[in-house]
Amino acid sequence: MAGLASQSPVARKGEAGGRLSKSFRDYFWGVAFLVPAIAVFGLFLWTPIVKGVVYSFYSIDFVNGNHFIGWTNYVEALASSDLGIAVRNTLFYMFLGVLMGFWVPSVVAIAISELRRFQSGMRLIVYLPNIVPAVALYAMWMWLYDPLGPLNQLLSWFGIDRVDWLTNKHWATFSIVLAETWQGFGATALIYLAGIVGIPKDLYEAAEIDGAGVFRRIRHITLPGIRHLYLLLFIMQLIATSQGFQTQVALTGGGPNNATLTYMYQIINQAFTYMNYGRASAMGVMMFVVLTVLSAVLYRLQGRSPQA
Amino acid sequence: MSKAVRERSIMSSFDMNKKSVMIAYGAMLALLLALAVTLLYPFGMTLFGSLKTKEEIFVFPPSYFPHHLEWGNYALGFKYVNLTRAFLNTLLLYAGNAFFALLIPGLAAFSLSQMKVPYRKTATLFFMSTLMIPSATYLIPNFLNLQSLGMLNSYWAFWLPAGANAFNILLLKSFMDGINKELFEAARIDGASELRCFVRMALPLSLPVFSTLLIFTFTATWNDWYWPSLVLSVKEKYPISSLVYYDIVTATMLTWNVKFSVLTAIMIPPLIFFIIFQKNIMHGLNLSGVKG
Repeated sequence: MAGLASQSPVARKGEAGGRLSKSFRDYFWGVAFLVPAIAVFGLFLWTPIVKGVVYSFYSIDFVNGNHFIGWTNYVEALASSDLGIAVRNTLFYMFLGVLMGFWVPSVVAIAISELRRFQSGMRLIVYLPNIVPAVALYAMWMWLYDPLGPLNQLLSWFGIDRVDWLTNKHWATFSIVLAETWQGFGATALIYLAGIVGIPKDLYEAAEIDGAGVFRRIRHITLPGIRHLYLLLFIMQLIATSQGFQTQVALTGGGPNNATLTYMYQIINQAFTYMNYGRASAMGVMMFVVLTVLSAVLYRLQGRSPQA
Repeated sequence: MSKAVRERSIMSSFDMNKKSVMIAYGAMLALLLALAVTLLYPFGMTLFGSLKTKEEIFVFPPSYFPHHLEWGNYALGFKYVNLTRAFLNTLLLYAGNAFFALLIPGLAAFSLSQMKVPYRKTATLFFMSTLMIPSATYLIPNFLNLQSLGMLNSYWAFWLPAGANAFNILLLKSFMDGINKELFEAARIDGASELRCFVRMALPLSLPVFSTLLIFTFTATWNDWYWPSLVLSVKEKYPISSLVYYDIVTATMLTWNVKFSVLTAIMIPPLIFFIIFQKNIMHGLNLSGVKG
């Protein structure tokens, strides 16, 4: 191969050996640059993914070895009453996340983009909660949600009875979503903001000359300009919230009365509390199937719409 | 700042003459102000709470500012956690994570964007489809996989997987796609090797994205508490977040003023990091947003 490669500069175009060596030389570095990525993706992402599917059909036992048990893990997972609770909790959590969190960042981004002064200051403030380590966030919100804490104090100023934020099963999910939205929306807002800044300014100029008011400019120029971000961030949020469990672990421990026991929390419990790795894997695979179908549908919808 | 003032945005100065626009703009400013207060309040609460005495923290209704500064909380808090060691652990984790999370995706992105590669579509799919696979699917098998690789309780379990980051490839590739191909063609004709093209041209030209990713990696490393506590079995190896979670946040016998002192302490390093690199991250976010 090396000999051919050294000949190739003189080899005429169309000669078989020349073409082979040429493609080898052309591709060598391109492939070499990909190899590390392919290796780590293969070893640390695809192997676990494939193993997850395989394990879901096995009973995992570190002592006596794994053995194949067919669909048993799936059947057991689907038959357990916890699954229904977990699915319901997760869907509610995702729904609240979209309801409270999804529209906020884009609105804030548009507002910030219109600030004449202190714009960079406001960007900083909005991003600030992202910088707080999640564990500090948990502690902060534990304090804010304390029965005698600042939030209930605020409510009492308005004459509202105190709320058991984390210990009332009707409020717990809401409280978790509120804390997460507080921390997370800034980064998303900045992504929207970047998209808004990237919209050519002469479009607004032209629209204004044609007599379009501010709100029509927002509706017909700004919003279409960041449309691609909406879908992307929507899917990203759904994927993220469908797997939420860490805030639940930290703030409520899945309670009260399993109200914040999410699907992912169940998986963690199955694996690390009950050592039932096979069933945990099976639940992971089921989640994969559902999420894949969901994102495929969403992308299909986007593909069908004009100017995706 | 001055540039932002001169450039027009959605509204022009002419719009401000209209009364309805003025009112809406004023309301918007008020809401942004309220938002800023909401965002800053918990920070102040933590900072000021860390300086209150034990009696003051239990006062009802709670006060916001401390009456006199109780610095002793910090001395007390630091006795419960070995923050220095945890901090060094975190830095060590971060150094490796950043190295692999930038180098491996950087090379791959450069290859996919500017070099001749066979089966480019397949390779791209191989990387990008992992973005669509929920971590729920592989979290448990990943743990078992690391176990069978003998990497549990070692930082390699973080460093190497950090390279398998499709998001970084996506961001770097979309930026590198924007670099003129002729630039690299010219360099190649002048005899530059591909490695040289990457190190001397692609890397400096994509510096905004690289620095953004450095910051994202920092936030991720600094934030991650659950996964390290699964993978690492000894507390001596814990990064700061995991240690603080298990030793401070969930500690029942600590009073809140002491907890707040440790929390304030762990918020300061990322804050400094952010203030230093503020320009880069804002710039980087601009780029990623435009490219989508």
